[in-house]
Amino acid sequence: MSASSSDIRLFSWLGRQLTSIRLTVFLLLILAVVAVVGTVAFPGIYYQSWFLAPLGLLALNLLACLVEGLPQAVKKVARPFTGEMALALPERGRFTWPGDAEAATLAQEALRRELGRPRREIIDEKEVFFYRRGRLRPLGPYIVHLALVLILAGGVVGKFWGIEGRVLLQPELPVSSINLEGPQKTLPLAFQVRLDRFQVLYYEEGGGTPKEFRSDLTFFQDGEEKARAVCRVNEPVTFGGYTFYQSSYGAMPQGAIPVQVSRGNKRQVLELFLRRWVRLPESEFQFMAVRVEANLQGHGPAVQLAYRSGSAHPQVFWLLQKQPELAEPHGAFRLALGPLNLQYYSVLQVKQDPGVWWVYLGFILILPGLYLAFFRPSQRWAVVLKKGKGGRWEGRLLGASPRGRETFAAHTERLLARLQGGAS
Amino acid sequence: MLSTVYGALMLLYLGVGLLFLAAGLWASPSLNRWARVLFGAGLAAHTAALLGRWWESYHLALGHTPLTNFSEKLRLVILQAPMSNFYESLVFFAWCLPFLAILTFRRYLRDYLGTVVALAACLLLAYASLGGVDSRIKPLMPALKSNWLLFHVVTCFLGYAAFTLGFGVAILYLVQEKRPRPSLPPLPELDRLIYQATIIGFLLLTLGILTGAVWAETAWGRYWSWDPKETWSLITWLVYATLLHARLVKGWQGRRIAWLAVLGFLAVLFTYFGVSFLLPGLHSYLT
Ligand code: HEM
Repeated sequence: MSASSSDIRLFSWLGRQLTSIRLTVFLLLILAVVAVVGTVAFPGIYYQSWFLAPLGLLALNLLACLVEGLPQAVKKVARPFTGEMALALPERGRFTWPGDAEAATLAQEALRRELGRPRREIIDEKEVFFYRRGRLRPLGPYIVHLALVLILAGGVVGKFWGIEGRVLLQPELPVSSINLEGPQKTLPLAFQVRLDRFQVLYYEEGGGTPKEFRSDLTFFQDGEEKARAVCRVNEPVTFGGYTFYQSSYGAMPQGAIPVQVSRGNKRQVLELFLRRWVRLPESEFQFMAVRVEANLQGHGPAVQLAYRSGSAHPQVFWLLQKQPELAEPHGAFRLALGPLNLQYYSVLQVKQDPGVWWVYLGFILILPGLYLAFFRPSQRWAVVLKKGKGGRWEGRLLGASPRGRETFAAHTERLLARLQGGAS
Repeated sequence: MLSTVYGALMLLYLGVGLLFLAAGLWASPSLNRWARVLFGAGLAAHTAALLGRWWESYHLALGHTPLTNFSEKLRLVILQAPMSNFYESLVFFAWCLPFLAILTFRRYLRDYLGTVVALAACLLLAYASLGGVDSRIKPLMPALKSNWLLFHVVTCFLGYAAFTLGFGVAILYLVQEKRPRPSLPPLPELDRLIYQATIIGFLLLTLGILTGAVWAETAWGRYWSWDPKETWSLITWLVYATLLHARLVKGWQGRRIAWLAVLGFLAVLFTYFGVSFLLPGLHSYLT
């Protein structure tokens, strides 16, 4: 069974729509609107079909234009520029020179000075000097579009075939799996990674702006040490096909967190644990340690506490070791944080992205593409010389530049000035 | 010391703007000449002040981390380029305007166009000096310690500057169309200048986005995170891409292109100021 004519019409309609710049503008507008909405209200929108569908259509649109236009552009670039073709260019100005002028040299010189060395042909007793610049211009837009397709494709490849996870490393405890995004999913690794030491270095003693977060790592495979590396922000480490990025860190108390609770002149020491309610003996009151920081904004060790009385809604506040008085007073309590035995852990982002090379290839391609498209307008020029009736040289300047009116006008003006003043 | 220099520079740019304005109003070539000389002098002083701050911040950093090795010192020089907080970015943006205008628009840098460029630089410096922006040199946080910082910031802000020039010309275009003035360049010339500023800005912004992506990949393992600044720079990029397609494919010219240049510049402003103040994200250390 062959395709019916309505099928064919449908396909050609689809093809036309897919290659139309109207679709492009429409999609770009949708994307811009969704992007605006995303930054203002719904940050997750970029991973939903609201955004991905127009983005995918845009990629199709680009691809369709590429398939349609690239062969023509290649043909255009491959076609040689001949004297015949030069003669057919539109006229931009005229000039005359005395019969005894060195016409050929003058014309050649004028073109060479303004543009570059011209070629020369003699056609029907006319001397034709012609020059083409920006020959590769027609490829420019397609290189840009191809680069954009590569970047989008790289994003897709990374999304579907890439691996993105994190790993929490405690000192001296080798780990051989990573946690993937999503609930409770882990991926085993073919090697082990161990955190030998984690450090936060500050510019000044005792806190302030951090200077460096560094994790000293050792990699093992089959029980053998394979490599040691230092992972810092901006200095990722690659091993076994995975790249590790310093992402965040934290501190974990070893053992209990001692909090001293004073009521009147009665003192009690509570032993708190992370995320576990502990009742203050002989009372309604309960405490829980929510988080521990080794250095809360430069103020030293601190613990974030939750507190509730009976079944009331809990309150959450920070208790600093050095400044316990900053903790919100809770009824008749005064609180103080005892000595903590803290151990740092380090959180590394772990990634394997086979798409990143497509993206980088796109980045590399887009630059020459933009250069050709915008900074190398294609121009064709010719100077035609002929002996006129009175034995004088009659000259004409021809030229065209379909998409580069900007520089073309300037060149025309200067060339004409050179040619008209040429023989004086 | 340097903040006094910037205060003086702000006044100088203001004076240059007024001189250009007077040159436009009275069609005076000699006023134009004076304004241009002063503008050049302002750029030279501005450059010197930038280098001064660079030097200062390099030596502060050297105080934190004494180095002897030449290549480590060189890397520190690159890292300490004075472009790492909001104040420094304002001052650098202000520098980009005369720099780019003199580099690419020299012939047109007179009369009202000169006024627009000089006043824009003056406004940026005024904001930096008088807007309550923290001007202290601070040590770099770990995320900013990357060789890409320099390339990223330079390309982005030169791009913003080119778009600012395009915006200035677009405004002149719209004025010239409504109330023609002989001292303004003719419409086709303004139209051409909008296009030229746009392609320069587009190339630079593209470079800025690419270097930012490469940097993010090395710092966080993600070349793109849809952080508000990233998203808005993409929106800006798309607006200018639309302008270029409208012109090259649909043959739009003149007023419609001028309005698109205005729209693009609004997107630039939002990307630079709006996002920093209204939307939190990875780039919020800039404020
Ligand atoms: C954003 C970066 C982009 C740049 C810099 C760019 C560049 C260009 C340039 C310079 C042209 C002019 C072609 C010429 O003068 O012959 C062009 C044409 C075109 N562009 Fe883009 N483009 C971009 C993105 C897109 C996108 C996202 C689409 C949509 C899928 C698209 C679709 C088209 C179409 C359909 C044409 C007409 C092709 C032709 O007439 O040969 N472009 N582009």
